Amino acid sequence: MIELSSPECPPLESLRHLCVRATESASSAMCRWTGTRIHLGLDEIHEVPLENVCTELEIGDDLLTMVVVQSITDMGAEIILMFNEASSRRLAKCLLGRLPDGCADWDELERSALAETGNILACAYLNVISELIGADLLPSPPVLIRDYGASVVQQALMAQAMECDRVLISRTTFQQEDEQLDWNVLFIPTDVTRRRIEGTVCGNP
Amino acid sequence: MAVTFASRSTGDVSVGMGQATVIEAPGRLRAILGSCVAVALHHPGLRVGGLAHVVLPKSNGQSGLPGKFADTAVPHLVALMKAAGAAPPRVVAKITGGANMFGHTGPLQIGDKNVEAVLEALASCGIRVVAKDVGGSSGRRVTFSPATGELAVESVGQAPQVL
Repeated sequence: MIELSSPECPPLESLRHLCVRATESASSAMCRWTGTRIHLGLDEIHEVPLENVCTELEIGDDLLTMVVVQSITDMGAEIILMFNEASSRRLAKCLLGRLPDGCADWDELERSALAETGNILACAYLNVISELIGADLLPSPPVLIRDYGASVVQQALMAQAMECDRVLISRTTFQQEDEQLDWNVLFIPTDVTRRRIEGTVCGNP
Repeated sequence: MAVTFASRSTGDVSVGMGQATVIEAPGRLRAILGSCVAVALHHPGLRVGGLAHVVLPKSNGQSGLPGKFADTAVPHLVALMKAAGAAPPRVVAKITGGANMFGHTGPLQIGDKNVEAVLEALASCGIRVVAKDVGGSSGRRVTFSPATGELAVESVGQAPQVL
């Protein structure tokens, strides 16, 4: 059992413990949804200067497929599920029981399958955070985007950027059976949510 | 804040969120934009150019990165250009960015406000805007060449364009 509330625990380390719990719940949800053994592992919590965020997280001008879910309550946050092109196509085909056909365009069913994947993952993740900090994080409908990774992350960081020049991002990677998948989940709380989380994990909600 | 001419780079310089940089040709300035706005200033005679990667519209008295807020980034970039010997009225501006990446309305759809604030700040500094490509719902990859003043804009699903 992880003790979240500890005055001795540095905020980033405690925050990491909290995100680990959310990640475990998201792992279970993804296993049920995909019918395979998928493990999500929290890489790290990054607290980085705004101007270096994309460099430090190595998110550049690669074209990615992303599903964005926002928390639409006062406790704001963004969850971004990111895949490269090949991974997103493989997942969509797997979910729909089809063979890869090399078609460049997404059809409606594939778009829906990917959006639902983001939705399931984000709901599981946000539910755990909500429960642990005692505040509602209510997910928006998922938005499927195919664009530069940095462009999407940039907009997701706006709320934190309004308050400070250093931003906080949690990044999780995926493993299916023994294979590392080229998928990432970013959790980006707004400043208000971040302070609430830090207050909770430091025993001062 | 002391203002110094930032760089005499001969290669590509990446301008991160909230940064503002001025260089001489043949270097080029690059940025990736979503709801942020790139402000490119150019002095044709001197082959000097600057780029600010503006994140938010108004500073409301906050200090921070020099290029972060439109109302502080534009004067800062103009000062950097002056320090490099490039002063108005020959300095002109091109702007791009300000997308609404998530495709719906809400409190964080800030692209339009960024564009508005940048145009206002440029007008206050007496800088003429000679080209712009703003809004939409796609990210942009931009490259600015002080040698020519060209601002190349690439956007997913659209033909590249040069402003």
